[in-house]
Amino acid sequence: MQQPPDDSRDWVSASGIPLKSYYMAEDVPAAHQKVLDAAPGEAPFHRGSYPTGYRTKPWRIFQLSGFGKPEDENERIQFLLEQGETGFIMEHDRNTADHLYNVDHPEVLARREDVGLTGAVMQSVRDIDICMKDLPIGTSYGHAGGAVVQHAPFALAGYWTVAKQRGFDLSRLPGTGQSDFFLTYLGCVTKQQIPTDAGLRFNADIMEFCDEHLPRWVPVSIAGYNGADSGLNAPQELGALFANAVEYLEEIKRRGTMPIARAARACGGVSFRMSMDIFEEASKLRAARLMWTQLLSERYDVHDPKVSNLRIHCVTAGSRMTYQQPINNIVRGTLMGLAAALGGVQSLGVSGYDEALSIPSEHAHQMSVRIQQVLQEETNIAAVTDPLGGSYYVETLTAQLIERAWAFFDEIQEQGGFLAALDSGWMHQKAAENQHKEFMAQSDGTQKIIGVTDHTDDISPFEVDGFMGVDDAFDVALARLEEVKRTRHEKAAGSAMRELETVLRSDRNIMPAMMTALESEVTLGEVGDIYREAFGDWATPIQT
Amino acid sequence: MADTGKRILMAKTGLDGHWRGPTIVATALRDAGFEVIMIGMARSDEVLQAAIDEDVDLVGLNIGGHIDVALRAVELVQTECEGMPIFCGGVVPPHAKRRLEALGVEVFPPGSQLPDIVDSARRLTGIA
Amino acid sequence: MTSSTDTLTDMLARAHAGDRRALARVISAIERGERLPGIPLGDAEDAAKLCVGITGAPGAGKSTLVSALTDELLKTSPSAAVLAVDPSSPISRGALLGDRVRMHRHATRPEVFIRSMATRSHHGGLAGATQASRRLLQYCAWPLVLIETVGVGQVELDIVNTADIAVVVLNPGWGDEIQANKAGLMEIADIFVINKADRPGLESTRRDIDAVIMTRPESQRPPVIETVATEGVGMESLAQAITEVHQSLTGTGELARRRYAQLGMELSQQMSRRFSQQLERYADCPAFAAAVAQLAAGSVSIEAAIDEMLPQVVNSVSPSQDESVPSGEQ
Ligand code: B12
Ligand SMILES: Nc1nc2c(ncn2[C@@H]2O[C@H](COP(=O)(O)OP(=O)(O)OP(=O)(O)O)[C@@H](O)[C@H]2O)c(=O)[nH]1
Ligand SMILES: [Mg+2]
Repeated sequence: MQQPPDDSRDWVSASGIPLKSYYMAEDVPAAHQKVLDAAPGEAPFHRGSYPTGYRTKPWRIFQLSGFGKPEDENERIQFLLEQGETGFIMEHDRNTADHLYNVDHPEVLARREDVGLTGAVMQSVRDIDICMKDLPIGTSYGHAGGAVVQHAPFALAGYWTVAKQRGFDLSRLPGTGQSDFFLTYLGCVTKQQIPTDAGLRFNADIMEFCDEHLPRWVPVSIAGYNGADSGLNAPQELGALFANAVEYLEEIKRRGTMPIARAARACGGVSFRMSMDIFEEASKLRAARLMWTQLLSERYDVHDPKVSNLRIHCVTAGSRMTYQQPINNIVRGTLMGLAAALGGVQSLGVSGYDEALSIPSEHAHQMSVRIQQVLQEETNIAAVTDPLGGSYYVETLTAQLIERAWAFFDEIQEQGGFLAALDSGWMHQKAAENQHKEFMAQSDGTQKIIGVTDHTDDISPFEVDGFMGVDDAFDVALARLEEVKRTRHEKAAGSAMRELETVLRSDRNIMPAMMTALESEVTLGEVGDIYREAFGDWATPIQT
Repeated sequence: MADTGKRILMAKTGLDGHWRGPTIVATALRDAGFEVIMIGMARSDEVLQAAIDEDVDLVGLNIGGHIDVALRAVELVQTECEGMPIFCGGVVPPHAKRRLEALGVEVFPPGSQLPDIVDSARRLTGIA
Repeated sequence: MTSSTDTLTDMLARAHAGDRRALARVISAIERGERLPGIPLGDAEDAAKLCVGITGAPGAGKSTLVSALTDELLKTSPSAAVLAVDPSSPISRGALLGDRVRMHRHATRPEVFIRSMATRSHHGGLAGATQASRRLLQYCAWPLVLIETVGVGQVELDIVNTADIAVVVLNPGWGDEIQANKAGLMEIADIFVINKADRPGLESTRRDIDAVIMTRPESQRPPVIETVATEGVGMESLAQAITEVHQSLTGTGELARRRYAQLGMELSQQMSRRFSQQLERYADCPAFAAAVAQLAAGSVSIEAAIDEMLPQVVNSVSPSQDESVPSGEQ
């Protein structure tokens, strides 16, 4: 039914910023007026990283992918590359990898069908080698996996070991891992996890190691996405992301092992969530670039444009993908992808239309790539950089987001910093409050979700059912685990484990010992056991 | 709101860390007067033991992965606790939903509205 | 519904014989306010039974501590039962009971029984059913019972009327809290635990506690134990302290005195609970309505009305067991 025109409604952005029905030049806050003249590619970079934008460098099509046995994942990645993906992400099986359990761990045995459902099982360097078969690791930007902090050193060392074995020069190897605090300590709190201070040490170790040996590698990637899809709103996502970056930078500063500018460069590849409020989300990316420039110059006296130029990956909001009428999600993916492009993203993953049902089927994955190709090739969006620049509305929103984001940043500092806000559960509380509000808005009709709260009749002829991967991931993984343990050089593995343990209990960098461990075919679960012994378990503040 | 005196178990069958779903559902149930016993990630034997010791009126499962893992918990509870109602949500693609429903489990996929879940809890615990 | 006394009697017998499901159901019956067939209570002298109360502010680490302590106590005790109390919402009267998550590693141990309990509008840090459940557990061969109170402030001190030994859990950096609680929490402790000893502020908290207890005669100064419950650190010392306090309380006869006093408390509490039930029922009957009408008309004073009705409330026929099934069942 047609709604009568209604002026009494409170129009606000997704994060709650009050909106006017149109904007004028004088709405743009005075402080922000000053930066309107900067061109894309010029500090403070809110207008974009490069003057030529997508003309010279289209955003990277970068999809999370993987399931089953390492060869199944390899096949899916090859498929995506054929379809036009321009980077690739290796996902490790979450049950085993995130907990550093081998498949014979009782918690995994009790859930054997889950093994390989999301990510391929990779318990030793041999599995990683299978997963990487024929992948263009020298030329294409690879994501080695290791999203969860305690898993990152293993995943990275595995990828690098295989690269070395194939004769690649590590100093020229491009790629990234993730090792993300938002995922690990806020978004998806695993059954067992190293405490946050140990996690901070790991990330600083990885940064140092890359600084020395893998200068083209992006060592850590702070994923605001994981915070936002757990409930943080746009300014909170921004504020928390930079509060996280500050923890890394302060740790490196404390160690004094690396010039701060290089450390800043190392954590200047981040990811954000792109959700459905197109203008707020596009403004968020503009705000992010400006904030990073501000943070580095004001707090760390770093002004080098190569460093203060933030590189952004985005993933479209999985939580906005609905179970009901899943084909609608193709539209949502397109719109969120568009928002990212308008904001000047460097790299993008679009969620599958079957997001709420399972990991993406091959077809859903293909569609995620196609959406991006349509945007890149058919809409002429690549022609002009920062197409929203100068819009009274978008510039005002950008400035308002920045203001609110710094306020949230300050609140986090008052909590004792980002780590403290995770340890105490304060950040979880913030996320949960927003989730609650969102649900209330759905029940009282202020938030409409097509196909869910409204317009629920579905005549789609397509049956979308969950993609269930393969049946033999567990059995094969178990056999391969036994095989590795039977055929590896046991003495070398044993001494690598002892060395790893010694290093963990010292303040030396963990990565060289981890490389040796992977080369010596130490398995995932064995590394996990050493961690558990050395670090104990994070005192999780939440009760689920 | 009237005190229901009814007790509901809330468990996660998977090893994944998604907490939004179970938390928001548990909170809605609490606000409707239920006592919700949270046990976090639990294997089927752990679900069963908690259901028995806590003498719950309804078992709630948040499903995070493969349906067979959830079915193991469902079947164990149904064999050991005759007549115990079960409801669930989380990752439940249509084929999984059908199998659960065939066992008499009420299923709330993503997008389910909280008042509907609360209504189901009332019905399943016999207070509506 | 079948006669609930019969089934309850049966169930109690089964629980007594070691049936865990029956035990769980009897606890529910207690929570619902059903009247239990008698459990012999004359245990004031029974030193083999022990009930340890763990109390402290919200989030102090009580559940984590109970979990770790249980591991330690199981080295000498064949079994342990835990009653973990969390608050009911005063508005919805529902509750989120999350203590069990922290006790996960005992989830399927046959020698451990964990029961989460909502306060159900009972004040004082425990549920109305906690004391009776504790007695039930001990009657059903769970001699060692640990009770975790809700996160308490100064006034929720029911635990002293319920447990043999009160362990008060504090955290580093709690100087102000200690000052504020001088008169409550700090007085009831048989043992102090400074949990989260891995956090900054340990030394000053220890000094603050010392300052409070130094004024007491040496024999009455509770031990102060530092723990990191998440890592199991300090559990041996805590278990040791519990054993020593238990022995000393037994030796001095204090344990028996406490239990005797607790019985008195319990009797009066149960009576008042029973009385309010009677009163609630009486308030529904015509005589009560008539009295209100008389009050309104000014024809009687409130005192006189009470004098007139009180014997009737007390003597009104005790409801049959069937009716005592709570309305939640309908
Ligand atoms: C948000 C989200 C996250 C957040 C975390 C949110 C959080 N703190 O819980 C972040 C970004 C951190 C995250 C991370 C990951 N996620 Co995720 N995530 C989602 C997403 C997009 C939404 C889930 C959500 O929170 N929805 C909001 C809540 C309220 O809804 P809900 O949980 O569905 O609950 C509703 C109903 O299901 C029901 N319900 C739920 N539980 C119960 C219980 C009972 C008793 C009842 C009655 C009802 C009920 O009621 C609720 C209200 O409607 C889903 C996809 C989707 N759209 O559903 C993927 C999804 C669950 N994630 C998935 C995966 C794989 C991951 C990752 C491994 C990374 C990745 N590959 O994407 C990591 C996990 C790492 C780890 N160690 O666990 C997969 C799971 C696939 C599978 N099992 O087959 C999904 C389905 C996405 C996908 N298609 O790949 N995720
Ligand atoms: N650092 C540290 N954290 C701890 C310790 N003990 C418990 N915690 C953490 O403190 C938080 C609260 O622990 P709980 O055991 O749930 O505390 P509680 O007192 O039972 O809480 P309520 O029942 O809600 O009052 C959790 O995040 C625990 O992991 C400890 O010794 N050191
Ligand atoms: Mg507790």
